[in-house]
Amino acid sequence: MSGAWQFYVATLIIYAFVYIIAAAGLNLQFGLTGVYNFAFIIFQAAGAYTTAVFSLGSPGAFSGFQTYILGLHLPFPVPLLASAVVAGVLGVGLGALTVRRLRADYLAIVMLVISLIATGVVTDYQGLFNGAAGLALIPQPFSSLTSSSIVYDWLYAVAAGVICALVLLAVRMMNESPLGRSLRAVRENENAAAALGKNVTALRLLVFGLGGAIAGISGSLLASFTQAWSPSSWLYTETFVLFTALIVGGTGSNLGPVVGAVLVPVVLAEGSRYLPQFGPPTLVPSLEWITIGVVLLAFLWFWPRGIVPEPRRVFPPASSSGPHSPPRARGLSVKNPQRDRGPSR
Amino acid sequence: MQSLALYIGFGLVTASILCIGAVSFTLQFGISNLFNLAFGATMTAAAFVAYVCNSAGLDIWVSLVLASLSASLLSFLLNRGIYVPFRRRASGMFTMIMVTLGVGVILQYAIEAIWGADNFSYNMAAGRAVHVAGMLFTTTQLAVIAIAAVAAAGVHIMLRYTRLGKAMRAVAVNERLARNCGIPVKAVIDGTWLLSGALCGVTGVVLVMDVQVLNSGSGDDFLILIVAATVLGGIGSAYGAMVGALIIGVVSEVAAGFINAQFKDISAFIILAVVLLLRPTGVINSIASAKEMAR
Repeated sequence: MSGAWQFYVATLIIYAFVYIIAAAGLNLQFGLTGVYNFAFIIFQAAGAYTTAVFSLGSPGAFSGFQTYILGLHLPFPVPLLASAVVAGVLGVGLGALTVRRLRADYLAIVMLVISLIATGVVTDYQGLFNGAAGLALIPQPFSSLTSSSIVYDWLYAVAAGVICALVLLAVRMMNESPLGRSLRAVRENENAAAALGKNVTALRLLVFGLGGAIAGISGSLLASFTQAWSPSSWLYTETFVLFTALIVGGTGSNLGPVVGAVLVPVVLAEGSRYLPQFGPPTLVPSLEWITIGVVLLAFLWFWPRGIVPEPRRVFPPASSSGPHSPPRARGLSVKNPQRDRGPSR
Repeated sequence: MQSLALYIGFGLVTASILCIGAVSFTLQFGISNLFNLAFGATMTAAAFVAYVCNSAGLDIWVSLVLASLSASLLSFLLNRGIYVPFRRRASGMFTMIMVTLGVGVILQYAIEAIWGADNFSYNMAAGRAVHVAGMLFTTTQLAVIAIAAVAAAGVHIMLRYTRLGKAMRAVAVNERLARNCGIPVKAVIDGTWLLSGALCGVTGVVLVMDVQVLNSGSGDDFLILIVAATVLGGIGSAYGAMVGALIIGVVSEVAAGFINAQFKDISAFIILAVVLLLRPTGVINSIASAKEMAR
């Protein structure tokens, strides 16, 4: 491969990993637990900004070129971990303010408003993260390892891949564990879950925190790869793209976020690069967005469960011959006991 | 205190535009339980219809009427063609938000595909400056305030004193009960979308008349303030929307004037954040509590 192609492919792969991580975090909140977090992107932003201010060093070094808070200069794993912690804490905090008080679907509206507020405040208040211009020259974490930028990109892709695999593994383990069953119970019927002794609010706060931390990791990876981050990187439409990715891939399934993240943001958005240039410069990007909108509506209408649907979990009826099976009441038959239906939205 | 009056005047203009938009947005939510995020793109579409009419030589006020009618039709068709079928599949509020967002994105970028990312403006007389009690308006701005006042009064009279308005309130509070009482729910919903669509179109055009810049993102940028005013006032409540618009409009302009232009939007958002913290369903939450949105 020529150099330019290598750069391109490596960049695409890194973007894919970042989107997959973010989609996995969103899947934990939305797919598994039914929490409609329309402010998801601000947790990615929190991670990105945390990484920036933990690695940029003192703002004085830029002689007024950019202003921001904190300005630490710490080696690689620290900014990434700090991003996860900050975004996770932010998630629990915002969740604690809203989750208990609002019905799940009205929460979507309030979270959307919070996303707008956050973008507005960061854009207008320049002292925080350099306002609308955003932060630039965020240090590259592994730049000391190699001087070749192509090797660096591949190295970064491998690191992102490892982190992505760890995140997917963690979400998968949660999904298959008893915790995952509790989360799905909250999604399907919160009153029933509460009646069975599940602490619905605590479970929701947990996924707010964990999903937020995962989003923070994705933001950290993205910001230290692109080395720049500004309010235009995290408009609420980005949350829309991630939700579209999940709906296309399949909400609640383990593979859904992977498929969706690769198809929607990466293939749809990057595929247009191969179209011959025609019309005014804004035409092709516009058509991209129109395609994303049409794909979303088509999936919601025709395939609402996505390409990789969540498996229908059907438990075999307890057999009366088993040694530990509970005695069955005669004459009382329950049709399809414990059948776990797909997300009912 | 001369300057305070001046900034309040600017605020009144912003509040007027916000008021028309927020009332329309909140009516749609109340009647259809739909957080219509395609609203901004519909405003933009109406503003471009007015631009086309205006460029063809029509007077801007005639263009305003035509744009309003087309926005009315567009909103009606979107509701009948897309939102109602999705709703009939028992889609919850979340799916509906995604649907309206999808429609909004398609609409906005269709506009951008046609007109690009350029800025346009209407061909109209700026109007002369008028001083009213220390406040400074152009005649166009006075007309905008008048339109908003008429719209607000009209909505109030309709909701209070007409059969359609009473039916609308009934459907907003409990659609099934309204149907069982013999209210033609479908016709009421259609009427609401035609009416709110017209107001949405008016908002789009008067916004461009005031700020004098039109591009494919105009409506969507302003939608953020409309959402803020609506949620602040208490979503679903027309009076809440008016209160919210007044607060957001005046406070943001006064803050911009007295503290710093940076604080224009922040101040609005801070008020909104505080209200959401104390009372997540907004100032006037009769509809919100009827829909049991808070626990």
